[in-house]
Amino acid sequence: MSASPETGLLLEHLFRHQAGRMVAHFTRLFGPSNLDLAEETVQEAMLRALQTWPYQGVPENAAAWLFRVGHNAAIDAVRRKQLLGEKTEAMVAELSRSAIVLPGDPDVEEQLRDDELRMIFMCCHPEISRDASVALSLKTVGGFGVREIARAFLADDTAIAQRLVRAKRLIRTQRLTLEMPQGPELKRRLDSVLDVIYFMFNEGYAAHEGADLIRQDLCLEALRLGHLVAASSIAEPRVHALVALMALQAARLAARVDQAGDLVLLESQDRSRWDPQLTAVGFHHFNQSMSGDEVSEFHVQAAIAATHARAANSQDTDWSVILNLYDQLLSLNPSPVVALNRAVAVSKVYGAAQGLAAIEPLESESKLRDYYLFLAVRGHLLMELGRLPEAAVALRAAIECPCSEPERRFLKRKLDSCQTEPQDQ
Amino acid sequence: MPRYMLLLHSDPANWRNLSPEEMQKAIEKYTAWVKKSVDSQRLTEDAGKVIRRQGGQTRATDGPYSETKEILGGYYTIEAANYDEAVKLALSHPHLDYGGTIEVRQVWAM
Repeated sequence: MSASPETGLLLEHLFRHQAGRMVAHFTRLFGPSNLDLAEETVQEAMLRALQTWPYQGVPENAAAWLFRVGHNAAIDAVRRKQLLGEKTEAMVAELSRSAIVLPGDPDVEEQLRDDELRMIFMCCHPEISRDASVALSLKTVGGFGVREIARAFLADDTAIAQRLVRAKRLIRTQRLTLEMPQGPELKRRLDSVLDVIYFMFNEGYAAHEGADLIRQDLCLEALRLGHLVAASSIAEPRVHALVALMALQAARLAARVDQAGDLVLLESQDRSRWDPQLTAVGFHHFNQSMSGDEVSEFHVQAAIAATHARAANSQDTDWSVILNLYDQLLSLNPSPVVALNRAVAVSKVYGAAQGLAAIEPLESESKLRDYYLFLAVRGHLLMELGRLPEAAVALRAAIECPCSEPERRFLKRKLDSCQTEPQDQ
Repeated sequence: MPRYMLLLHSDPANWRNLSPEEMQKAIEKYTAWVKKSVDSQRLTEDAGKVIRRQGGQTRATDGPYSETKEILGGYYTIEAANYDEAVKLALSHPHLDYGGTIEVRQVWAM
């Protein structure tokens, strides 16, 4: 994390990150059914900062200030609202006690990490739908605003707000707790947590208007949550595999778009723009994921990302290793999208004709018929084989499918080159 | 040089819709503006009292000062060659981007 370029006073995303851990902290104190109160308390602390700091300056330990003012706001709110009934005074005493401890102290930090971890595990309770889990995780532990979540998901503000209201109602009516599940239930919950983090990452990673930083923030938040789970005592090898996968992919974020905001495919990316620190983090977790016998989908996907990351340039890419990994992935998850990716690897190893043969059986898949990538891959392989009129048909159909603007521009350029290239090439 | 006060009024409801990230951005913008020029002072947190004398009786009522929900959030004292210069400086303040208003008043040196 670096300080803000504007003043150099505050760490980048300090408020967002503090909001996340403060909400988790106050939710532990108030109980999950008072999640709204926890959120209001945190908002109050931040509002006070907003009303004071511009005139008095930023305090030396900004995080501690927010924490302390949050406790005072909490004491006021608990007294005023009387939500906790006869427990009010006990809560006030607890709040006064915990107001003295400061973030930065190792024990306090550990408690806060534990609070955040329990919060994610509650947000990913199977009673809550995945979409709602993602939104709720971002809003609570992530410290994102409703509008930011809506923008990241290209959704409507009210839709997101309603999703959050419903999820919180569920927490109350189902009496969800911050208790960590035990035994086989823990494994299931961990899977759903990883699923939510993975989904969050992919949403952010999907190529959309390049410069929209909120989507990058989504990727980095997923990575942060992944780290949080990976650093906890319940981490299993597949958690490290997921973190490895995300870090290796996130390392390529900056290289994926050029100056004009156009998409740059993996093979044409300037690899010197890959983030070496994230790549190193990726390999570190990839190594940690190797302990034990478990081979999850995350393991195989991380191995594919690692194979790409190891190649100094695209010509050095070991496609036969990648093809093997896709075979393995397909046996773990026989989905048409995996098969499509595998076909690309086939074409790299055995040529475009074999690649085309590998996607032939996928044509009957209803899931892929209107999937722009299926048609784009088909168009690309036909182009390589010099079957330009057929390639143009596929690319034109791909452009008609739902996809982002940079992707559409990319496909149009491809279609143009396909229509201008001489037939005999 | 003449001194001027910039009084920053705002409707607190405007701030409630900001996310933590946006609040931080706002603080950074305000701080960056202050760094450029000013000696700043902040008012206490409540909306203050308004003192009036009606029918021979003096009454202090709670703010806000007018019919609006706006409160005076803080003020800066600046030096400027003239009113136009002071207004020009005030116009560059991010407060205006957040829906606030700025009152510019000259302060007479004693």
